[in-house]
Amino acid sequence: MELTEQFILLQAPNPAAAENGRKLSKKGSFSARRRTEDDTLYWADCAGSGSRPYHVSIDWSQPDTPVCRCSCPSRQFPCKHALGLMFEIEAGKAFETADIPADIAEKRAKQTARAAKKEAAASSPPKASRPNTAAAKKKLAKQLEGLDAAEKMVHDLLTAGMGTLAGSSAQTYDKLAKDLGSCYLTGPQTAFTRIALTVRTVQKHPEQADTAYAEALRLLVALHSTIKKSRTFLQGKLDASSFSAEDSVLFEALGGVWKLEELHAIGSFRKRARLVQLSFDVTCDEAKKEYVERGWWLDIDSGEISQTLNLRPLKALKYVKGDDSRFGLLETPVLYLYPGEGNRRIRWESSSIRPLTAAEQAALPALAQPDLAAALKLTKGRIKNTLAPKFLASLVPVGRLGRRDGETLLEDPAGNRIVLRDRPEEGADHAALLRLTLLPEEIPAGSALFGLIFYDERDRSLCLHPYSIVTPERIIRLQY
Amino acid sequence: MNLQPLYDVKERLEYAAIAGVGLLGEDFRLQRAAQGLKPLASASPVFAKIDSSLDALLSAPAKQRAELLLDTLALVDAVAYTQASAGLPGEIESLPVGGGGTCQQISYGQLHPLLTALTSTGGGRMEIVKSTWESHPAYFSDFRVLPALVAGLGDSYSELAELNAEILKKQGPSVLPLLKKDFDPAGKRDMERRVEVIAKLEGAQAVPWLHDILPQAKKEVRAAVITALGRETDSTSLLLDLVKSERGKCRDAALQSLALHEGDAVRDFWTAELKKNELSFSFLSASPTGWSSDLVAAGLRERLENLLARKKRLAQGEWEELNLWHPLVLKKTSPAMLDLWRWIDDQLEVLDQQKNAVGQPLLQGSAMTEWLLNSLCHAGPGPLCDLCRELWEKHPDQPRYLPHALLSALMTRPAAAVYEEFAPYIQIKRPLTGSAQKQRLHGAVLKAFAHIQREESTGNYTLLRGGSALPPLDPRWISRLLGAVWRTAGDREPEFMPFSCGERVGEFDMTLVRLADASDQKISAQMTLYLRRRMAETGAFYSYGRWLLQFHGDFRDTLAESLRQTRGRASLYYIWELFSLAAASFSPEELAAGLEKIPIADGLRAPDRSVAQKVIPLTVASLRAGEPFPEWSMWRNMR
Repeated sequence: MELTEQFILLQAPNPAAAENGRKLSKKGSFSARRRTEDDTLYWADCAGSGSRPYHVSIDWSQPDTPVCRCSCPSRQFPCKHALGLMFEIEAGKAFETADIPADIAEKRAKQTARAAKKEAAASSPPKASRPNTAAAKKKLAKQLEGLDAAEKMVHDLLTAGMGTLAGSSAQTYDKLAKDLGSCYLTGPQTAFTRIALTVRTVQKHPEQADTAYAEALRLLVALHSTIKKSRTFLQGKLDASSFSAEDSVLFEALGGVWKLEELHAIGSFRKRARLVQLSFDVTCDEAKKEYVERGWWLDIDSGEISQTLNLRPLKALKYVKGDDSRFGLLETPVLYLYPGEGNRRIRWESSSIRPLTAAEQAALPALAQPDLAAALKLTKGRIKNTLAPKFLASLVPVGRLGRRDGETLLEDPAGNRIVLRDRPEEGADHAALLRLTLLPEEIPAGSALFGLIFYDERDRSLCLHPYSIVTPERIIRLQY
Repeated sequence: MNLQPLYDVKERLEYAAIAGVGLLGEDFRLQRAAQGLKPLASASPVFAKIDSSLDALLSAPAKQRAELLLDTLALVDAVAYTQASAGLPGEIESLPVGGGGTCQQISYGQLHPLLTALTSTGGGRMEIVKSTWESHPAYFSDFRVLPALVAGLGDSYSELAELNAEILKKQGPSVLPLLKKDFDPAGKRDMERRVEVIAKLEGAQAVPWLHDILPQAKKEVRAAVITALGRETDSTSLLLDLVKSERGKCRDAALQSLALHEGDAVRDFWTAELKKNELSFSFLSASPTGWSSDLVAAGLRERLENLLARKKRLAQGEWEELNLWHPLVLKKTSPAMLDLWRWIDDQLEVLDQQKNAVGQPLLQGSAMTEWLLNSLCHAGPGPLCDLCRELWEKHPDQPRYLPHALLSALMTRPAAAVYEEFAPYIQIKRPLTGSAQKQRLHGAVLKAFAHIQREESTGNYTLLRGGSALPPLDPRWISRLLGAVWRTAGDREPEFMPFSCGERVGEFDMTLVRLADASDQKISAQMTLYLRRRMAETGAFYSYGRWLLQFHGDFRDTLAESLRQTRGRASLYYIWELFSLAAASFSPEELAAGLEKIPIADGLRAPDRSVAQKVIPLTVASLRAGEPFPEWSMWRNMR
């Protein structure tokens, strides 16, 4: 087993825990380091603030999903002591060979039994659960009722004018929006909050009024469209007494949360997927009060670009494990895809990462769109959908990069061009354009550029916000 | 196709949404924009659809307007998106690259805290930057980090800005393009730091760039440029020009730099400058040049002669002003300076008799022998050693120059010969005659040793002031000092607090511990005996206990007696810390035995006694059960 620093960082619940673990290892807090003959179990004592050392162990029976155990009272998992022990292993420190301790052997046996039981359950056909039709009907009726209320709010807002959405009026809308949550319409609820927040920007920064109102209107158009389409969708389900999940983006737009088994049930999954992360970033969604950790992934078999979203509510930040950048090739036995088109959200239950081979890396730029024209066409087709975000993540081939009239331009090998700009909605911490000029060397021939193609209201053009450069040798991340 | 009518409609629809659809009927601008779209409607079905939507909107009753507005806007937006342009025509120039950094695989979790620390405000940032620099120095060369590091030169937290500058200096010349990019010669502290970093990285090669920016440079940046230029030996004529043309900080920078240069023109300038402005003497403190030594010697002699000629008491200000010359004489060794010391030696008695405004003697002569001792320590081997020897030989019966002579001898002569000559001054038996005089000489030797330390990590001896290296001491000195009958020249021995634990320890013992070599078994054995005795006598159980551990000694048998000396003032925490440190040297059984001997009732302070009654037996039992010595939290939590 070869343990890498990246693997340890990915196990950590947050960067601070990993750093604290590293410090424990560095200052020599570990003693009595032991391992089993077959290298599947490592354990040691770690000096803590208590009078007795903590007993910490890592079970590597499943190398990709190590089981960490520690006698410390920390609620973080894995705790800094387990992460510190991983750093001890990574540093190549000496571990004496010993027999597996009885308590761990017992826990391991229980775990194996549980895993076998789970596997048996998974292989047997799932029990057909009887849907609670009465409850489902009631929920649909409530949602339809909520849609009426939402529509009325949109109507009232536009009748009075969005300019009136300030002060006590905004608070009233916040309150009304909260009522939508009790109608199982958290999607429209968030949309209203987002609109109110955007309009509030005008009060704080009057100079941004044009862009803020434009953004708020886009949100309102999308909300209106969601309400219209959802009403038809939900009414259809109610009339047909169909209560199972369906392959529709409306489910999520209304605030629904997909479970993996539901995605499996609608056939929205793919077996044996191979993915490479192109970029990673984190934003704070003030409307939902959560951090959104977003990874952009390239499927090296299909060339599709998808995204992972790890949502961490601010209130429960320390209890939800953070995601991080991943390097190398991720292989997963089953890849689940959320309904939708273009940059679909993906998830998986288990995966393993290995370094890309030189041949695999060299083949990545070829997975880009054939040219800029094709990427622009796809983008236009995507963003004109009122429910879709107004950008599309694309990998486009690079001919050359240059400057004209104060703008930075990408020209593809066919001579098509696009202006490179930072997308204003992404915020200052996502600014990447300047970093293009700080690259240590020229971008080699045959490279591709990954980024978000978006519509810029300022000059009514499509621009590209650069995120990464995919060369035949490596991926240069302008973000993380 | 001219799409302006479409954009006009879009704009008016957006205004209508902001103003409220209630006013739609009166919006003549929207009606005008809708009219403008009509020609396009006949050209394309999609525009015809927009046109009919607009007609429906404008003629709709108030209740339906909101929905129709959003439908029309959605349609207009969709057409605007599909009609969007991309790129710019015409020739393009290549994008410059070569920012000086490297491309590394660093994850968000590793990089984001560092970038946030470098680019934000608030507490805790220094620690993040420092610890990242210690554990992952390579991160700082990443092309995403370097710009933040350069921008961090202007951080409002100046310590962090200085750290950023130090880190940049370690990145090598590859960061120079980034540092010179967008450089503002009229900028503030961040630009000043950029100059410092560039000058450090480029050395002499930075001179043309420094010359280029000098004409535009302002305030702090200008001073930094002058300082950087001043480091070059061929910048003398430039500096001579600048001291004439510059004012304020910039002139000070030029003077500071010029003080390091050699040459007749420089000497002439300084001679004239010091005549005009005596305060400029302060710029000569770091000057290693012969002319500066001559000028300082002449200036100080003139000042002293004036004072002596006046035969008046010194006002407070005058005395303070005289003391400003102390740093100026350090490391100055020209013949004129040596002559000045000889002249001062001739005037010592008169100088000692100088009195302050209220008639108290200032002992200025004695103070000046201290200046000479400090100058010797800073200068190391050289002409001052010979001078000190000469002055000592001139007054062999006086202790005044004995420390100077001993330190000079330690710097320049074989260790054994120095011991043979000076060891007799350390009295190991109480003399029957001339006791007072012998104690003064004895104290003078101790004073010399108070200037020396042995570095534990390297085993080398150095001078505390100035840092000059010394050859190893003759080991016989330790035995001799251990047998010394006096601990000081006078009645009262200076005391210090070596471990910030509240215990005060005499200078003699601190000097001994600083000089003795713990790796020498014989010396360690002697020191152990001595330190145990002192531990029992003084009650400073913690300080002597730690020193005993340093010399591989055992404090356990002496601890009880020492604690009793404290008369119930010892803190339980320091007992825990002492045993915690001892856990590295003693077995659990030895620690347990030591703990059992602690006289809780007689030694510990009252608030700690009840806790000690609980924790000590418990710790003894757990040590004997094979457990390690506990953390302080375990003892503390038993309160």
